Amino acid sequence: MPKKKKVLAIASPGGHWIQLNKICNEMEARFEMVYATPGTQYGSKNSSRKIHNITDASADSKLKLIPLAFQLLFLMIKERPSAIISTGAAPGAIAILIAKFLPIKTIWVDSIANTAVLSRSGRMVKKHANLVVTQWEPLSDGKNVIYKGSIL
Amino acid sequence: MIFVAVGTQFSFDRLIQFMDEWARDNEEEVFAQIGDGEYTPKHMKWERFLEGDQYNQNIKEASVFVSHAGMGNIISARQQQTPILVINRQFELGEHRNNHQADGLVWMGKLPGVYTADTQETLYQKIAERVDMHCPAEADNVKRDQLVQFLGDYIEGSAP
Repeated sequence: MPKKKKVLAIASPGGHWIQLNKICNEMEARFEMVYATPGTQYGSKNSSRKIHNITDASADSKLKLIPLAFQLLFLMIKERPSAIISTGAAPGAIAILIAKFLPIKTIWVDSIANTAVLSRSGRMVKKHANLVVTQWEPLSDGKNVIYKGSIL
Repeated sequence: MIFVAVGTQFSFDRLIQFMDEWARDNEEEVFAQIGDGEYTPKHMKWERFLEGDQYNQNIKEASVFVSHAGMGNIISARQQQTPILVINRQFELGEHRNNHQADGLVWMGKLPGVYTADTQETLYQKIAERVDMHCPAEADNVKRDQLVQFLGDYIEGSAP
């Protein structure tokens, strides 16, 4: 049996993280999943998942983006994932911008909370991610932003 | 028990204060996760943050889950089969960095098991109706399966 491809899944705490899990729970069988999130408050005691803790940063805290970028780069070098998937927000977007220069497929799944326009981070990575997915059909242009379904 | 939670990124003192006043005037116990809020409740039990397992346990045990209009809590409520009543943060009051929670309230209200309020008055009205609320079990979700299948195929390189 061929070795499973490794996927690095990144999301901020709260809704982003929960949406990421909704997707990744079903990917566990098919891929070797590794996670990265700021804060460890979501680690369940029963979980055997590999979760890396990263610096929290948002577009409002630009200084923190620098250590975060280094952490993400080292994480990618260490884990060597085939793909990165993120549901947002800033840390996932930064990861996608870094992975652009590495042989890693990058996937952005825009949060279901953004119903009228793509999220701010989503717009930031739109031209850089290999695949950008919206969870709302009207936001898809069928080319750069794709709709294939949603978590709810 | 009524469980109240405002998320981890921003405080939402307005909702916490509404619920503290509700707790003062009503019998049912209220437990609130208040985040970094400045307002500390006097009439209900509270914590700033809860660890994941405890958080889900509280949702499960609640008669209704009163929450900011955050997607994460809507998903968690559905998972625990607890009706959720959401009230939106307002950008104008400095409660979020944009007004997407107000925009989202309309479509959120169309999801099964999700109820919405936008003022103290409508919040109390909806809470009074909590015995009539219900949340369906998370049935097979075709839209999610399609999305996950597509993403998996893309990663393996078999997607167009």
